[in-house]
Amino acid sequence: MIRDLSTIRNIGISAHIDSGKTTLTERILFYTGRIHAIHEVKGKDDVGATMDSMELERERGITIQSAATHTVWDGHHINIIDTPGHVDFTIEVERALRVLDGAVLVLCGVAGVQSQSMTVDRQMRRYKVPRIAFINKLDRSGANPVRVTQQLCEKLAHNAVLMQLPIGLEAKFEGVIDLVTMKAIYFKGDNGEHVVTEEIPEEMRDEAEIARESMLDAVSMFSDELMEAILEETVTEDLIHTAVRSGTLSMDLTPVFLGSAYKNKGVQKLLDAVNRYLPSPLDGENTGVDLSNDEAALTLASDPNKPLVALAFKLEDGRYGQLTYVRVYQGALKKGSTIINSRTKKKHKVGRLVRMHADSMEDIESSSAGDIVALFGIDCASGDTFTDESVQISVTSMHVPEPVISIAIKPIDNKTVDNMGKALGRFVREDPTFRARVDPESNETVISGMGELHLDVYVERMKREYGCAVETGAPQVAYRETISQRADFNYTHKKQTGGSGQYGRVAGRIEPMEDGTGDFEFVSEIKGGSIPTEYVPAVEKGFAQCMTKGRLIGFPVIGVRVVVDDGKSHSVDSSEMAFQAAGRGAFREAYPRARPIVLEPVMKLEVEGPVEHQGAILKTIMQRRGTVIGTTESAGMARVESEVPLSEMFGYATDLRSMTQGTAEFSMEFARYLPAPAEIQKELKEKFSSKIVDDDE
Amino acid sequence: MYRKFLNARSPLRLLEKGLHGGLGPGNLGVVVGGPGVGKKSFLVGVALDELLRSGRVLHISMTHSVAHIRDHYDTVFEELAANAHLEDETQVHVDVDRNRSIRVYPRNALTTAKLREAVKVESETAGQPSLVLIEGLDFKTTSREDFVDLKELAGELAAEIWLSVSSRKEQIAQLPPSVERVEDLVSVILALEPADDAVLLRALKDHDNRDLTELHVALDPKTLLLTRH
Repeated sequence: MIRDLSTIRNIGISAHIDSGKTTLTERILFYTGRIHAIHEVKGKDDVGATMDSMELERERGITIQSAATHTVWDGHHINIIDTPGHVDFTIEVERALRVLDGAVLVLCGVAGVQSQSMTVDRQMRRYKVPRIAFINKLDRSGANPVRVTQQLCEKLAHNAVLMQLPIGLEAKFEGVIDLVTMKAIYFKGDNGEHVVTEEIPEEMRDEAEIARESMLDAVSMFSDELMEAILEETVTEDLIHTAVRSGTLSMDLTPVFLGSAYKNKGVQKLLDAVNRYLPSPLDGENTGVDLSNDEAALTLASDPNKPLVALAFKLEDGRYGQLTYVRVYQGALKKGSTIINSRTKKKHKVGRLVRMHADSMEDIESSSAGDIVALFGIDCASGDTFTDESVQISVTSMHVPEPVISIAIKPIDNKTVDNMGKALGRFVREDPTFRARVDPESNETVISGMGELHLDVYVERMKREYGCAVETGAPQVAYRETISQRADFNYTHKKQTGGSGQYGRVAGRIEPMEDGTGDFEFVSEIKGGSIPTEYVPAVEKGFAQCMTKGRLIGFPVIGVRVVVDDGKSHSVDSSEMAFQAAGRGAFREAYPRARPIVLEPVMKLEVEGPVEHQGAILKTIMQRRGTVIGTTESAGMARVESEVPLSEMFGYATDLRSMTQGTAEFSMEFARYLPAPAEIQKELKEKFSSKIVDDDE
Repeated sequence: MYRKFLNARSPLRLLEKGLHGGLGPGNLGVVVGGPGVGKKSFLVGVALDELLRSGRVLHISMTHSVAHIRDHYDTVFEELAANAHLEDETQVHVDVDRNRSIRVYPRNALTTAKLREAVKVESETAGQPSLVLIEGLDFKTTSREDFVDLKELAGELAAEIWLSVSSRKEQIAQLPPSVERVEDLVSVILALEPADDAVLLRALKDHDNRDLTELHVALDPKTLLLTRH
């Protein structure tokens, strides 16, 4: 067990595809002694980083992209947590970001800040993850760390400060000048493993002095002591480190480091910076919700002596079997102890507890708050919270957003049907925003998720990891129905067909919920027992049943409040069944009068491209019934923020590419449900009613 | 309440009365106020009034992000809708969003050439603006020619253009020199000054009218709404 929590760093490495995340991660593992040889990533230019690393992993038998890899640098325990590169995985990203205390933002020294970096960065900001930046690939032609630092400030609104200066650039990139120690640092040896400190080359002295001064200017904002020391010319390295750390932790400062992972330069200094500036579990505040008190928020204490609270953030079918990665937020997780899953209330015995290294794993006896470890053989879903039996706490809210898009899939080869089932089973357990079901009408397998790309990735994984290629159908958008005005009902369900009859009367109203997007609320204002208490839940059930399939276009109904304030029962003929039927009947009666409308999922779309293409970008948005929120222009680039209905977004990537000659990039995430335009509502209604006729025949 | 009634009862009508018909198409208007007094809220109030009348608004800022400005609109709109018990709030909000474009530039990066380019892009895609708001334009470094050009642009678009200017003091005893320099090109100048419980609007210039009347319009610092006073 790690006793000193202040030596733990739980970090993510976040990067745009092709900015060299895999290479950097591999170098980190090499320098920290976890792997013993460096092997180059293959096919750099035509395949994405994730695939590169998977091939590399397979070939070398090492794990670079495991959910969490533990390593040690200079007395600090660093857990490197894999962060998914794409925003389509809302829940997965959210969960990965939750377990991070800090992150390294890797930027390509040539391409700089790209739109993907923006989305990931925005999410990190949302989850309050302090960052340091690493500008990579300085050996490439066109590398310009000053410009990239400026972009960090302008495009990502970071207060980015260069902590180093490059010695030479492009092919002549040799090393860096550390502006804190004012020394030149070179990385010698075959693999850059010998860090050599020398005096700053004479011709760079002046430049370094100027850069140091502007660094001190920016950094001194975070320490009065440092500011005084600057005036009295008594600046020490420790004073600078303390100030940089405090600025980084409050997310008011982003220190920038330089290097080229591929050429083995700068990585060790970056590791020093991780230890020095990024937070330990003691620095941040983690919250959970109290399940015994209506999900009220509470703070979790990084204290090994308090009751256990741990989050399962990732499941992995590794070579060693089913692994569950957990972050311990409070208390300690011990081998042989009994833990309870807050969601399922199931008890589990902790049989084996391991720490994952790149090339091996280590059995451990216990793990304390702040640490990240893996459990064997625990059946759970990712996102589940484990506690000891004394508290009922969940780290995450139990609320999971509903999927917004579905596609039908069919295996190309019938032999792989079993594998498809296995793959889907696992994906569903890993990612609660991913669903799979068999449509009873068409008998097709339908998968649903948070965006086109989200589903694409799973289809790809099915093929790659389970050898099951599938054909996909046309995407289906998850519409919703809601009501837009109040309607009263007074409905009597009566049936008298021999034997005991059925009788139940319910009266009240249905009305839109104020925020419009809540699911369903049932309020009983029944006075004097006009409906006997034991039948009230049946009435609610009757209404709730109607919410799963609206009568307008057959999609779920949301945002409805049902208030029942009167009714009547019969001493013999009333039953639960009768009141359920009365609830259904009442809804059928009231719904058409409540002016039901169709809601469609609307995505937040951000497109970035050169200013001269902004007209074309705006056109792609207008053509898709989009609403442009705003445009930000800076440094020759325009970033357009907009909201576009999901149903219009299919094939957007291709269209945007051709309209802007491939110069623009976009990112997208679900924003909210909005009423669909009248003509689209009409079209959907007609389609639905023609289907009903078919069904009746 | 329905949208058209909301509009008819808007305090902006009172402001127009006080200003002998309002700013009017083709004209430049300036609002002056101390830091944090509510210049943005005034501009947003004017914009929402125009948007509720189905006009098109182009909001240009050199001080805040798109998300920040949008949040500000959302807050004021929700306040306005709740205050007036607006019917069909969601749909009206969608329409309002559709007819508004926000454009953000780095500090000091806006030139009239850029503005013309932006207006052109807007007109070709979303539509020609009938009201343009400009926040954070540095009056000191903007040349007189640029103001002449701005006034011409207002004329070409037949649009109203409102600009906000920061003053160091809360009470505006006289025009800041940077504004005085171009006073002849500006049709209406308003001061926003904090009083006991509200921020009051006062006319410093009203077209060619010498007798400046009281406007009876204020900004409620709590709700950020324009109110009668």
